[in-house]
Amino acid sequence: MSGFQGAAAVVGAANTPLHKRGTSAKTSLELTLEAILAAAEDAGVDPHDIDGFSSYAADDNEGLAVGAALGVREIRWSTLVWGGGGGGVSAAVNAAAAAVASGQAEMVAVYRGLSEADAGRQSYRKGHLGPLYGAHGMLVPAQVCALRTQRMIEVDGVPAEALEALVAAAYHHAQTNPAAVAYGKPLDPAVYADSRMISEPLRLYDCSRENDGAGAVLVTTAERARRLRRPPAYVLSAVQGSGPGWFESAENEDTYTSAGFHPAMVERLWRGAGIGPGDVDVVQVYENFSGPAVASLIDLGLVPPGPDATKVLHRDNLLAPHGALPLNTAGGNLAEGFVHGIGLVVEAVRQIQGRSPNQVPGAAISLLLGGPMAPLVSATLFGSAATLS
Amino acid sequence: MIPDDLLAVVEHHGQAVARGEDRAVLADFRQDRIGQLVASARPPREMNAAQVLGVEPGPVEGQYTAHIRYTGAGGDEAIFRSRWIFVDDAWRVTNVRNVPDTPPRWPDPEPDQLEAAHWQGLERGELRLQHCPACGTWIWAPRPICPTCHRARPLWEEVEPHGTVFAWTRTWQPFDPVVTGHLPYVVVNVELAGAGGRRLMGVLLDGDRADVRIGTTVHGEFDNGLLRWRLEAA
Repeated sequence: MSGFQGAAAVVGAANTPLHKRGTSAKTSLELTLEAILAAAEDAGVDPHDIDGFSSYAADDNEGLAVGAALGVREIRWSTLVWGGGGGGVSAAVNAAAAAVASGQAEMVAVYRGLSEADAGRQSYRKGHLGPLYGAHGMLVPAQVCALRTQRMIEVDGVPAEALEALVAAAYHHAQTNPAAVAYGKPLDPAVYADSRMISEPLRLYDCSRENDGAGAVLVTTAERARRLRRPPAYVLSAVQGSGPGWFESAENEDTYTSAGFHPAMVERLWRGAGIGPGDVDVVQVYENFSGPAVASLIDLGLVPPGPDATKVLHRDNLLAPHGALPLNTAGGNLAEGFVHGIGLVVEAVRQIQGRSPNQVPGAAISLLLGGPMAPLVSATLFGSAATLS
Repeated sequence: MIPDDLLAVVEHHGQAVARGEDRAVLADFRQDRIGQLVASARPPREMNAAQVLGVEPGPVEGQYTAHIRYTGAGGDEAIFRSRWIFVDDAWRVTNVRNVPDTPPRWPDPEPDQLEAAHWQGLERGELRLQHCPACGTWIWAPRPICPTCHRARPLWEEVEPHGTVFAWTRTWQPFDPVVTGHLPYVVVNVELAGAGGRRLMGVLLDGDRADVRIGTTVHGEFDNGLLRWRLEAA
């Protein structure tokens, strides 16, 4: 075993309420502070004790400004993961874990906040697509992911039903999560099938839609984690990066229908925890769009490639508590709400804490996947105390 | 056979559009996609007249296609093709576009310095990609040095605009006002035959009628500083 071996853990996790985009009067900084204070309360930690800050996706709120607003005693460490979009979501957690494991900080807040009030419309596409895209009417990530998803379906033979199953599971889980934007709005299969096309093959319900809101988790040392009130979600293994011929290639990636989790990276993730895909109890997979999330699960070896994908990706198999691969158990970006995937971190942790709105009984290994079909991808394997022995 | 009530609805719809009666127009749209439909087609300036050119069944069962010509005070005109279905107790528009289809054009691409030779080549009707004279690597997207042998400043070599469709998408959502009037449009990612498998994106001309398949051969056509693609006749 290599990797973190449980040297760091998440001890508190919280989201703010999630609002339809453009409807929160609060700035992204105010929302971020609200989320961090809630995460501190969840952990039973004095917010003044937070001494590190980590974010991603070109977050506008610098760690130093967030720390100043909280009036923390000292800022020992802060960082921002490079790369737009959700690829950095796990990487921001991993960076925080590295900081506490190496003694550079003791209590790091990992956060992401979005509000159109200050960030403007379409902050998700900030810094994404240059003239080699825009000149050809390629304006947003949805179209990039549509190109790749179309090839995944048409050439690799992944059935479109695999995408729908993932969406259906997300909406199903949202029905028992009162905080989810899709709470009380179940998705009828006929409505999905008849929904408007955004960019073929992606329909409306295949696409995540921005919300105003924020989320945060607190990462600390294993030693301190054991003295706090929540069961720690230990970081067992962590990866981030970009494979050969992958980064910013204007659609020239070598493995075009991959989500970006290349074999060496996946191998490192499993080896770091000394486990394999069959040991995972629950998955939170970043779904900017349904197709890339399916590609992530295939990359990780959780789902077979090609036509066999639906052997695993059928709705009932993806549902907590009894499915073999319960995923996006709070509704995910699609149905709980989209704040660049920070809600997926919160939910990955809640599963280990035993307080998910759709708890997988005895969940001990919880996988978080960020990115997909983006220049940067990242992953974190969380484990309960039982996984450390 | 065209239902009589549909003919009346289409006629009424055309007049409502021409008169700018927004409430009546929106009521004719499928209610779950009003925003998408409103921003899909571009009317003529100072629109004041509509003429229904025809209504025909299809292209799929239960659907009807109407062509309506809208005219502006200054003589501008635009033809909208709308597809109608009976849903929620009424005939409603499920999609609409300008015909003939024309490709979208981003007003000012503001290219990166690294890409300048590519864009300048397109202005002259030449497709140029980076190619390393030392090790032969074709490089795309452009890089400051060859990623294989690290020779500085790879050269720009002309490539035949010819290849096969590697991936495609037909975009329906008006992500920006500049695409209004061109929706839906097809973008293809083309694997170039003469550039070591490097791929280049572009709009597919006549994409409205195209049955696009990965692997199909395409040819490039220069269009005022942009490269467009066309499916090779079978």
